[in-house]
Amino acid sequence: MKLNSLAFRLFRTAAVWAVLVLPLAGLTIDWVHKRDTYQSFDARLSQLLTLNIAFSTDKGGPEPTIPRNVGEPLFELAHSGWYWQITPLDKSPGKRLVSTSLASETLPLPSKLDLAPDRYNIIWHEARGPVGEPLRIAETLYNSGDDENPHFYSFLVAGNLEFAETRVRDFRVPLIFSLALAGLGLVLSTFLQVRYGLQPLRTVERRLAAIRSGEADLLDGQLPAEIEPLQTELNALIQSNQDIIERARTQVGNLAHALKTPLAVITNEVGDDTSPAARKVAEQATVMRDQVSYYLDRARMVARADVIGRVTEVRPVAEAIARALARINRDRDIAISVECAADARFQGEKQDLEEMLGNLADNACKWASSQVLITIATEVRAGERHSHRLLIAVDDDGPGLTPEQRAQGIKRGRRLDETKPGSGLGHSIVADLAQSYRGHFRLEQAALGGLSARLDLPAV
Amino acid sequence: MRVLVVEDDPDLNRQLVAALSDAGYAVDKAMDGEEAYFLGETEPYDVVVLDIGLPKMDGISVLEQWRRADRNMHVIILTARDRWSDKVAGMDAGADDYVAKPFHMEELLARIRAQVRRASGHARAEIECGPLRLDTKTARVTLDGQPVKLTSHEYRLLAYLLHHTGRVVSRTELVEHLYDQDFDRDSNTIEVFVGRLRKKIPPHLIKTVRGLGYRLSPEKDEA
Repeated sequence: MKLNSLAFRLFRTAAVWAVLVLPLAGLTIDWVHKRDTYQSFDARLSQLLTLNIAFSTDKGGPEPTIPRNVGEPLFELAHSGWYWQITPLDKSPGKRLVSTSLASETLPLPSKLDLAPDRYNIIWHEARGPVGEPLRIAETLYNSGDDENPHFYSFLVAGNLEFAETRVRDFRVPLIFSLALAGLGLVLSTFLQVRYGLQPLRTVERRLAAIRSGEADLLDGQLPAEIEPLQTELNALIQSNQDIIERARTQVGNLAHALKTPLAVITNEVGDDTSPAARKVAEQATVMRDQVSYYLDRARMVARADVIGRVTEVRPVAEAIARALARINRDRDIAISVECAADARFQGEKQDLEEMLGNLADNACKWASSQVLITIATEVRAGERHSHRLLIAVDDDGPGLTPEQRAQGIKRGRRLDETKPGSGLGHSIVADLAQSYRGHFRLEQAALGGLSARLDLPAV
Repeated sequence: MRVLVVEDDPDLNRQLVAALSDAGYAVDKAMDGEEAYFLGETEPYDVVVLDIGLPKMDGISVLEQWRRADRNMHVIILTARDRWSDKVAGMDAGADDYVAKPFHMEELLARIRAQVRRASGHARAEIECGPLRLDTKTARVTLDGQPVKLTSHEYRLLAYLLHHTGRVVSRTELVEHLYDQDFDRDSNTIEVFVGRLRKKIPPHLIKTVRGLGYRLSPEKDEA
């Protein structure tokens, strides 16, 4: 996943949510649960204290008695952590009464610690029990006499805080597990959302690749409403691109016709006239012809530059050119053969492939003694951007070129032999065209003995 | 030999007609595709020089229609559209050669000569019949190495017979191939020129095949 991708942005949002918000939510829930647990604990102690007072003073005497029912069996179990204690204060009659669970132990009176009572006159305190257990103590002072002759008694109930603490602790495990599960679920659902939600964008990517490789003409198919405007605009752009290319080609063709016919008239009008003026006109007409050819070819190349979505089957083009050249050269007894890989497909314009192959094969025919061989192979090079390559070799059995001549041969307008017809632009046009496709053109010694013109072009 | 020039540019058309006439061809001209198609359909041309960018009907369509109608005269495409796609389209439509504008007239004449030779099955530029020899490059006829002085019409007649050495050529065929469509076609003219030729070359070379026409042959004894 790339750092600047939409998928990463969505994942980052989900991760921030999971890392920051979920722990915060966990802490809040834990705090609320802990508060509720301790409040319930206190409420239970408060309730037991009330029962204790009620059932120890219901006989009507001035002294409290052992309460009949205290509502908690743990008061009967020795050192259970649950205790009650009734202590006469200020020389009030009666003796100290305690729960069975407290046995001979005595709990400290919070009222002696100068602690403030709550609004129900209960003084709360925490202390250690007879066996070191943490206790929550609730105490209230009860007057069994009257204002003139008061008899104060301390009523105290203590509960084992471990009950509450264990409950709080036990709650944290499922809480953390649940939140972790929620976080994981969030990340997982984000992942699925990204996969599902961004699927149309991947579809667009695939279809654009298909257009670029020439397998499709337009970005077709049903896409989500949010992407439909993009689809419409892209299709309009592709169509516009193709229209511009077609118009440019037509205009270049018209320009060629408009310029070359008058040039032909001028050239032939001076004909065999040997006067200086006629020779100068003929010379300049030749210069114009070469310039027109060169710049028309450049214009065609510019019109073609980076055109998208074109794929050309190589075999029909090679065979058509071989057929045309065989017809043109049928008096010369030259065998023109084509060996083409079945899967050879050029990633580019048919006209450009024809131009490159035609120029090379035509040149080979001019120089060949008896044989021209056009070989087309494909190759896959790992690691390169355009890994599929088309390798074209046009070999002849003519006289060939020296290494120095081969180096000169692809320069513009360089004619190595004036006895053969042509403007000398053929190889340079091929080199320029190959370069415009980020390909390569070079001249080598052919196995047949003559020249081997080699092209390395993008394939599909 | 009879040639049809199809070119819509009047200046170039005029130049082509003049150059071909000077080279000894009987030349007809057409300025648009429809006229070209009609002439090619009705007249027996040896070679057609055909521009592609024509008004009314483009050259490729004209050529395709001729080929569909089994008109198999040799066609040289002449056009400013010199891309290989245009060349391949032209050759696939049935053209025999391709000349891109601007061109030198000598180059076109050489291509036309090559097509005429090809039409009659001759690979070399020189055609011989016994002591008679025609150099198609220079349009010169020699007899035992000595130049033979011929008028334009005599040259056309002898050149046609030399291109078809050994074959009986009818008077009608000669008229159709030696004169353009504006010429007053009187077959007696052929007999007059044959008579003149027989005075300039060994008379036995041109045999009269009664009721059929003429045959150029080096043999003296005829059955």
